[in-house]
Amino acid sequence: MSELDYVGKRILRKDGPDKVTGKAIYTVDIQLKGQLVGRILRSPHAHARILDIDISLALEVPGVKAVITGKDTLGIKHGFVETPRYPADQYPLAMDKVRFIGEEVAAVAATDVYAADKALSLIKVTYESLPAVFDPEEAMIPGAPEIHPSHPKVKEDLVNIGGKTASGWGDVEAGFQEADYVREDRFESHLRTHGFLEPHATVASFEADGKLNVWTSSQGPFIKRAKLAKTLGLPQSSVRVKKAYVGGAFGGKIDLYTHEFCAALLSMKTSRPVEIIATREEIFTAYRHGQPMIVTVKTGVKKDGTIVAQEFKTINNSGGYRGSGVVVIFLVWGFAMAPYRIPNMKYKGYSVYTNNPIRSPQRGHGAPQMRFAVESQLDMIAAELGISPIDIRLKNARVSGEMLPNGDNVHNCGLKDCVLDIAKHTDFTAKFGISRTEKQGRYRKGIGIGVSAYFGGSLIYPNSSSVIVKMNDDGSVSLLTGSLDIGQGSETILCQIVAEELKIPIEEVQVFAADTETTPVDIGVWISGNAYVTGNAAREAAGDVRRKLMTIAAEELNADIENLIFQNKRVYISGQPERSLSYEELVALSIQKHRGDSVIGNGHWRTMRDEPFHPSLATTKGRWTENYAFDAQTAEVEVDTETGNVRLLKAVTAHDCGFPINPLQVEGQIDGQVSMALGHAFMEEIMMEKGRTLNPSWLDYRMPSICNIADSEHIDVITERYQVGKPYRTKEVGEGYVSAILAAIANAIYNAVGVRLFSTPFTPEKILKGLEKIK
Amino acid sequence: MTTTQRKKIIGLTVNEETYELAVECQETLLDVLRNNLGLTGTKEGCGTGECGSCTVLLEGEPILACLMLAVECENKKIETIEGQSINGDLTPVQEAFLEKGAVQCGFCTPGMVLASTDLLKRNPDPSKEDIMESLGGHLCRCTGYNKIMEFVHHAAKLNRDNT
Repeated sequence: MSELDYVGKRILRKDGPDKVTGKAIYTVDIQLKGQLVGRILRSPHAHARILDIDISLALEVPGVKAVITGKDTLGIKHGFVETPRYPADQYPLAMDKVRFIGEEVAAVAATDVYAADKALSLIKVTYESLPAVFDPEEAMIPGAPEIHPSHPKVKEDLVNIGGKTASGWGDVEAGFQEADYVREDRFESHLRTHGFLEPHATVASFEADGKLNVWTSSQGPFIKRAKLAKTLGLPQSSVRVKKAYVGGAFGGKIDLYTHEFCAALLSMKTSRPVEIIATREEIFTAYRHGQPMIVTVKTGVKKDGTIVAQEFKTINNSGGYRGSGVVVIFLVWGFAMAPYRIPNMKYKGYSVYTNNPIRSPQRGHGAPQMRFAVESQLDMIAAELGISPIDIRLKNARVSGEMLPNGDNVHNCGLKDCVLDIAKHTDFTAKFGISRTEKQGRYRKGIGIGVSAYFGGSLIYPNSSSVIVKMNDDGSVSLLTGSLDIGQGSETILCQIVAEELKIPIEEVQVFAADTETTPVDIGVWISGNAYVTGNAAREAAGDVRRKLMTIAAEELNADIENLIFQNKRVYISGQPERSLSYEELVALSIQKHRGDSVIGNGHWRTMRDEPFHPSLATTKGRWTENYAFDAQTAEVEVDTETGNVRLLKAVTAHDCGFPINPLQVEGQIDGQVSMALGHAFMEEIMMEKGRTLNPSWLDYRMPSICNIADSEHIDVITERYQVGKPYRTKEVGEGYVSAILAAIANAIYNAVGVRLFSTPFTPEKILKGLEKIK
Repeated sequence: MTTTQRKKIIGLTVNEETYELAVECQETLLDVLRNNLGLTGTKEGCGTGECGSCTVLLEGEPILACLMLAVECENKKIETIEGQSINGDLTPVQEAFLEKGAVQCGFCTPGMVLASTDLLKRNPDPSKEDIMESLGGHLCRCTGYNKIMEFVHHAAKLNRDNT
C-alpha cells in the first residue's frame, strides 16, 4: 500500500484561520434578533428549605419579559448518571430545597442585563435554614444532616451516600499474609477548577413552529438534546442543538447545566431568543469543578518489589447532588488496576453528598488523584526495599496482550518501553542516585517518576459514533460528524483520516459538525473517545465511498478491483497510469449508471461492539474498552529550602498513544496537560469555607501563565500502525498525561529534600513544615 | 436603571473606519465593540481584567477592553483582531500562530495575536523573558504556552525575513 500522506503528519488545524482572524463564532458571540438576556438567582444558603418565592415585584421591572422558578418547570429531575441504581436526583430549578450555595432558584429574561439584575434583586425568597455539612467524612457519619437519603443498596450504617462501588478479585487478605512488606497510606487531593477561557454560555431560541434551537458551549450536542428534551417535556425532534466554536471545556461542560435549561424555558415563555452567559464569579462559586478525593491505599509486596495485594478505599465529595461522583468512584478503580499487575485486589469507593457545589468530570476524571496516591506510595516502598523507582515499575508493569481483571485486553502496551526510554532520556538513575548529603545549600534538585494508564471510548451515552462522507460533483468530499471540536482538534484529525482513506487533498474535505438535526450521532468529546471511536467511524464512512468508487472504476476501466490504485483524486489501474478516471468522472458515472447514486458513505463505530451494556458502576463487572494508553512521566524540580517554593525545571512524557494521528496536536495535548498538572501541584486551589468560595477570580485563583511555562519534552513510543482500509486502535492523548506527572513531581520533591507529601497542592507551607520535621 | 440611562455620542475609529456611536456612560469598550459594532473577535473571558482575552490596541498600545469605558476612547484609534488580516492575507504573526500549533480552542488567540503584534513592533527579536513580560497577562488553558512561546519566536523570524 502507498505511504501515508495525511495521517501521522503535522497537519495544521482546519479551524485555525477562523480562530486567528477572530471570525470563529463561539456561543458567547451569537446575537439573534430580539435576543433577551437571562440571569439566574442563586441560593445564599448551603442547605435550606424554600418556603416561598415571590416574583411579583420582579415582573414589574421595565424590560423584564419573564421570571421562572421551580413551579414553572415540569419538576423532572436529571442527573449525570440516570440508571435504575442511580436515578436522577436534581431538579433543573430548585423546588423544595437548596443543597449548596449558588444553587439556582429562579431565572429572569429581560431586554438588558441591568433590568435582569434589578429583577433578580427584587425576587423575594423565604428560606428555612437547615444544618449543613461540608466534609465528606463527617457527612457519612450517622447523625450528620441528611442531604439526600443514603442509597438504599448501600447496606452500611452510613448516611449521605450517593453511591458506592465495590470490586475485587483474588484474596486480598491472603495476599497481605504472603507479602514481605505491607504499608498503608492516605492521600488527599484538593479542589481545582477547569479554567476554560470561554465561560459557560447558552443561546436558546424557541421558534413559532415549536422548534427549540440551542447553541451551547459544551462537549457534544447529543447529550444536551436528550436532557433538554427530557426536562422540558419536549420530543427530541423538537430540540435542535447546533454547533458553535467552544472555548475549552476540560470535562466541565458535559452534563446538562441549569443555565441551559433556563435559557430554553425562558425562550419558550417569551418566544424570543434568550442568552445566558455565566460570569466568571458565578463559574468559580456556583458551577461544577473537579473531584477532590481521599484515597487510602494498602499495598503488600514481595522483597523484590512484586505487588501481591492492594486494597483501596476512596471517598469522593460529590456536593449537593450526585454529579459525576458515582462515576469517578468507579473510574478510579480502573486507574488503579490498569498500569500494574495486582494479583489480589479489593476496592471500595464512596460518593458522598455534602453541601458543596456539585462536582463534575475534570480532565483525567480521577486519574490524577489515584496515580498520585499509588505512585507516591510505590516510591516509598521501593526506598524501603532498596529497589530503584525504575525497577519496581518495570517489575509490575503490564505487558502487551495482558488481560485485565474485567476481561479487557490491553492489546499493545508500551508501558515498559515508556519507563525504559524515559529513564535513559533523563539519565534518571544517575540523577536519582545523588544522595541527599551531597545536596546542600539553599536550592536542591530532585527527579521523580510516575506512570499512568488511560482508556478511551468506553460505553457511556450515547456510546457510539456514526459518520457520513459524501462525494460532491467536483470530486471533493463533505464529512458529516456529530463530534464537536472543543479545541483539541477533532475536526482536523477526522479530515486527515478521510483525506488519507480517499487520497484526496485535505483542503477538499469540508466538515459539517455537531448539529443534532443534520449530523449523525456521536459519542461526544469526553471519555477520550474521539480519535478512536469517531475516527474509526470516519474511516469506515470513507471506506464505504472508496468501495463505491472502486466498483464504478472497475466497471468502466474493465479492470480487477484488486488492481486499482487511488491517488490524487483519481483511480488508476496499477502499472497503467494512463488508464484512470477522476473522482469527478466517477461521481458522474455513478449517478448515470447506478440509478442516481451520488456516492455517499456511512460509517459507524462502537467500543466493545459485542458487549450489550456498559460495565456496572456498582461492581465494575463488565468489559469496558479495547483502548488503553500508557505513559511514564518524569519531573525534575528545584526546591528552595528557605521559602519552600518548588520550581518544575523539566517534565518529560514518554507516551504510548498507539500512533499519533497528528503529532502537532499530540504535543499540544501533552504540553497543556503538563501545565495543568503544574497548576494542580503548585498553584491552583478553590478555597472553600462552609460551602462558600473564598477566591472566585483569576486574581485569587492562580492558573499558570506563560511566566510559569514548563519545559516539556515528549518521547513517542509507537505501538500501533495506521493502514488504509484497516481498523486502527490508536489511543487517547487528551487526559492521560495530567496524572503521572503529578506523582512524579511529588516523588521529585522527596528526592530533592526528603519531604514526602500526602496531599495536593504542594505548597511552600507543607514543604517547610516537612523540612522542619526532618531537621 | 433603564429609565436613567444617559447616552453620549462619541467618535471612534476602529480598524481604520470611523464610527459615530451613542454609548451609555457605563458601557465598556469591549461591550461597544462586540454589541454595537458586531466585532465579536474580541473575547470576554472574565470581564475583570484578569485573563487578557479582550486585548485590543488603543492608539497602538495593548489595553484590556473590558476595563476601558467606551467614552474614554472618544476620537481614539482602536485596532481589533478583525483589522489584522487585510483582504484575507494573514499577518506573519497570524501565520506563525497557525504554523506552530499555538491555536487550540482559540478563545485567547485574538488577544495573544494583538499583544504579540505589539511586542514585535517594539522589539523585533524578543527574548523568552520579553515574551513572558508581554504575554504574562494572557491566560491560555489549552497549550501550556510552549507553542505560544515558539510562535512568537517564529513570528519574529518571519518579520525579520520579510524586511
